[in-house]
Formats: sequence, structure tokens, C-alpha cells
Amino acid sequence: MVAKLSKITTVWIALVLVLLCVVFSVINPAAFPTAFNLKTLLVEAAVLLVLSVGMTFVIITAGIDLSVGSVLLFASMCSALAMNSMAGGDSTAAGADVAFVGLLVALVAGAAWGVLNGLLITVAKVPPLIVTLGSFGAALGAAQLAGDGTDVDTVPEGMREWLGFGNTLGIPNMVLVALIVTLLGGWLLTTTRFGRYTFAIGSNPEAARRVGISVTRHLIMVYTLVGLLAGLAGYMSLAQFGATTLSGHTTDNLNAIAGVVLGGTSLFGGVGSIAGTVIGVFIPAVLTRGFIITGVQAYWQPIAVGLVLVAAVWFDQSRRRARNNR
Amino acid sequence: MRRTRVAAVLVALLSAVLVLTACQGGAKGGDHTLSFIPGTKGEPFYISMQCGAQAKAAELGYTLDPQPPDKFDPSLQTPIVSAVTAAKPGAILIAPTSPVAMGAPLKEAKRAGIPIVEVDTALKDRSVAVSSVSSDNPKGGGLGADALAKLVGEKGPVLIIDTTAGTSTTNARARGFAEQLKKYPEMKNLGTQYNENEASKAATIVTATLAAHPDLAGIFATNLSSTEGAATGLRNAGKTGQVKLIGFDASPKQVADMKAGAIQALIAQDPAAIGASGVQQAVNALQGKPVERTLLPDMVTITADDQATLAKYAYKTKC
Repeated sequence: MVAKLSKITTVWIALVLVLLCVVFSVINPAAFPTAFNLKTLLVEAAVLLVLSVGMTFVIITAGIDLSVGSVLLFASMCSALAMNSMAGGDSTAAGADVAFVGLLVALVAGAAWGVLNGLLITVAKVPPLIVTLGSFGAALGAAQLAGDGTDVDTVPEGMREWLGFGNTLGIPNMVLVALIVTLLGGWLLTTTRFGRYTFAIGSNPEAARRVGISVTRHLIMVYTLVGLLAGLAGYMSLAQFGATTLSGHTTDNLNAIAGVVLGGTSLFGGVGSIAGTVIGVFIPAVLTRGFIITGVQAYWQPIAVGLVLVAAVWFDQSRRRARNNR
Repeated sequence: MRRTRVAAVLVALLSAVLVLTACQGGAKGGDHTLSFIPGTKGEPFYISMQCGAQAKAAELGYTLDPQPPDKFDPSLQTPIVSAVTAAKPGAILIAPTSPVAMGAPLKEAKRAGIPIVEVDTALKDRSVAVSSVSSDNPKGGGLGADALAKLVGEKGPVLIIDTTAGTSTTNARARGFAEQLKKYPEMKNLGTQYNENEASKAATIVTATLAAHPDLAGIFATNLSSTEGAATGLRNAGKTGQVKLIGFDASPKQVADMKAGAIQALIAQDPAAIGASGVQQAVNALQGKPVERTLLPDMVTITADDQATLAKYAYKTKC
């Protein structure tokens, strides 16, 4: 029943996405439906998609993680600093070994915040909204402390060349990484015990506990997963921009949550899918690009994106209500 | 029982953190202290400004007390201004993070008898500060238009990427650029897009514009995040060097990107001179000497092969 419901939602939201693409393609047929536009759209959505896959798990447990953008910055800062210190201060010319250590550092740094969030939520019993709001600020502060307030902007050029701008079989590597993460996430959520526990805890944590699921342990693992993925996203962002971009990523959390919820995952937990999240992430991304391509005035763009987001969810909700009343 | 002990430990930890941060961030008072409140922590532009201000303050027998907010955000800068006002320094040097929102807390400081000097950005209300020192941003934007025109042979469509609508400094650069661009009849202005200080948004703006206008000739980016993002967007599109990118400011990253060929020219301010003149005006006000209401230090165009200008105007990450 639950699975069916979320599948139907996914179909309707997918139709919205297709409709948007069709409209923009009709308005500007020379610019929108092109391989170039598709490629850059996918590359630019890759980082947010990785964050949103993790966010899907958290929201299905009826939790929330506001800290992802800051954890991303913290992980990319740790990674950049580690690579630079390995290469004697400037890692621009460093090789694959240094870049690999950088990846590990980013993953560990991200996962560490995840463990901390998970412990505070489950053991100290502070609500996830507050815990992750706290680490949203704290992780950014920690990143600024580590970098002494300045962006680190020396990153191995080989890593930028391969991960940031390279292709494998014509597919950008950024997109490949995001694709692998998405597929693994979908597999984990739908076919494994880990995924079933995630749904069970989101539906009713007390019931989950009574049937013998270790809720504490599982929630810590879920928050660790989202932290780990934020670390990976931080490494990807580092490869794309070649700098830690400390001033940015302030709304990554909201963008990821919006993508997940647009994709039909319930903020109350227990319902959701990775496929929905993928579509949910691409709706705002397509809108932003489409408005620039069709020449909508800059001030109208955020208004229009907001309107479409609310309209899409309203449409989805009223369909669900109509269905439930039948 | 156990829970209370845990709580006690937590409270102790929290208070330790508070005490530590308070020690680090406490504002200093006294007639010979000049509080320096830049727009944000850690930007090489403000660090270079602080270096210039610090040197000038030392020369004149004053101490500079830097109090940067974590982000370029009036809600973070306001409590700093209040704390500084309470500590009663000799004068305040500030880069207001909003032309309107920072008015109220700064008026409060003025009422407390502290002279205020605006550096870099300025309030809309001209009655609050005794002096404003900032780069002539419209003129800098104009320099950008001239440099871009030269690079693209005075023809083709160009795009402006600005930070947010409402940031007086960068908006003025964009305006100055658009104004000067009108002198080149064969160059078409595609308009201004805002990247909300996110490098990733700037990259999207560039690639989406390229999809609609494959003949895009040049881009003028008004600050660091827009330049970084634009460079990434061009690289994603495989158009690095082909589409000419003009950046504003000369942070180490931008200078390195220019040397690597991702950026073709930079319009640099002289933050150290802004900081030094700001201190001079503040001290003049304190000592009852005449104060210049408005000072506009010069800006320069730097290209990769101009080593001498580059060495002089590149921003620093530490003094």
C-alpha cells in the first residue's frame, strides 16, 4: 500500500518534470533540447543529488538534516587541507595518491559529523531539527576555523581534470559518481534489511523497537550515511570549483529537502523513494536553467521557481486526497 | 541521577566554550582603539584592507581591533556593532553589509559619540558616517567594459553576473559596466543575472546562457563567487578562453586562475589604500582635524602579462 502510493506520486511528479522540459523546448527549441544543455544540467545537479539521496533516508525515518551544506564545506575544507599538507603546502601538481587520501579524509570528516548528529539525536534525545541546526552552524564554524576563515584554493589539478571535468564513455564523471550513489541508494532502500528498517522506524519507531529493531543503532547509521554522502559531495564540489567556496552552500539543506519532498517522500516519515528524489532534484534545476534560457527577467526567477514548487506539491497532495477519499 | 550528571557535564562544557569564544571575540574600548568591522571573515580583500589599516593605525599611534562577522550578513554584523558600541572605542571603521539594515545600529553608535568611517560599502543614509572611503565602483565597472571590449574586438553578446540585488557595491559595478558598454554599438548586453553568492548558481547561469547564446563573447563577473562559478561553467562547456571572462578583485585564487587562463582580465581595487585612508579620516575626526566626506581610491585593470601591476595590486591572505 505504502510502496504503491509513493510509486503513483513519483509518476505524477515525473509528468510535471516532463511537462516543464516540453514547455521550455517549445519556447526555445534551439537551446533547451540539446545535448549540451542536458550534459551541463546533469553535471551541475550532481552534488545536490548526492546530498538528496542521503536526505531521503533521513526524512523517511521522520528525521531531518539541516547540516548537510555545512558538513559538505567542513569535509571539503579538511580534504583540501590534508591534500595541501601532504604536498607540502600546494597540492596543485599532486598525484592520484594525494587525491585519494583527500577523498578518504572528506568521507571520514563527513561521516564523523553524521555520527555526532546521530548520537545527539538518539542517545541525548535532542530533536533532529535542533541537533542538525546546531551542527549547521558548528560545522561551518569548524570549517572556517580550520581554514582560518579563508577559502583553500589549491586543489590537485589532476583531480579537477578527472572528477570535475573528465568523461568516461562520453558521460561526465561527476554524473557517473552521482548515478552510482543514486543506484546504490535505491538498492539499499528497496531491497535490503537496512531499507526496511528505515521505513519501519519512520512509520512507527515504538513498533519497530518492539519487533526487535535496534532503533538507536539504525538511526545513528542513517545519520552517518547522510554525513558520509555530504563528505563525498564536498569532494565533488572541490573538484568542480577548485576551491572550498565557504560563502556558498547556505541553502543546500533546503534545496535537498525540497527535492526529497517534491519527490513524494513524506516529511512525517515512512513513505518515500529514491526515484522520486531524483525527479524532485531536477525540477528546480530544470526551472532555473529554463528561465535563464528563455530569458525570464532575473527578479522573476525565484518567484516562478517558488510558485512551481508549491503548485507541484499542491497538485500531488490533492491527487492523493482524491484517491484516499474514493 | 546519571542523567543529571550528564547534564552537569554538558553545562560545564557549554560554559567553557562560551568563555573561550567570549575571550576571543571581546571588543576593546578606549580612545586609542579603532574598531574595524569588515564585511566578512577571511576574504583576502578585507584582509588586505585590514593590513593597510593596521599599518596606518600603528604609524599614527592607535591600535586596530578587527571584529569581522562570520558572513556578509547584516543579521550577523548588527550584534557586533552593538557590542563594539558598548565597549566605546575611539572610532568605528565599518563595511556595512546592508545599505539600509545597518543604519539603525550605526545610528546608535553615532548617538554614543563614536565617529564612524565607512570603508568599501556605505549606508544609504549619508548623515551617519563622518567619511566614506570606497572604490569608485561604477568607474571600475566601466574599466571592465573597456577591457572586455578590447578582448573581444568590440563585438558580440556579453553577460553580467552579479551577487545579489541589493549589494550596493557589486550592483554599482554592474551598472557602470552596462553604462560603458553602450559606447560599443556592436556589443549586446544580455542583461544581469544574480548568483546569490553561490559559485554553483553562477556556473548554471553561464552554461544556460551558452545554451541560448552559443555566440556569447564575454562575461563580466562582479565578485569572487561569481567569477569562480563562471570559470567552472566555461570549463564545463569547454569554452575556457574562447568566451572572455573579466573578474573583479585580485584574490590569490583569481590571480592564479588568470595565470592559468581561466580568466582573461581582473579589475582590482586597492584595499590597503582604502583601509589606510579610512584610519586617517577616523584619526582626523578624533583629533578635530578636517575630514573628507568622500574618498574614491583608484582601481586598475590587470592582465596576466602585466607582472608589475599584478605584484602591486594582488590581495593578501595575511599581512
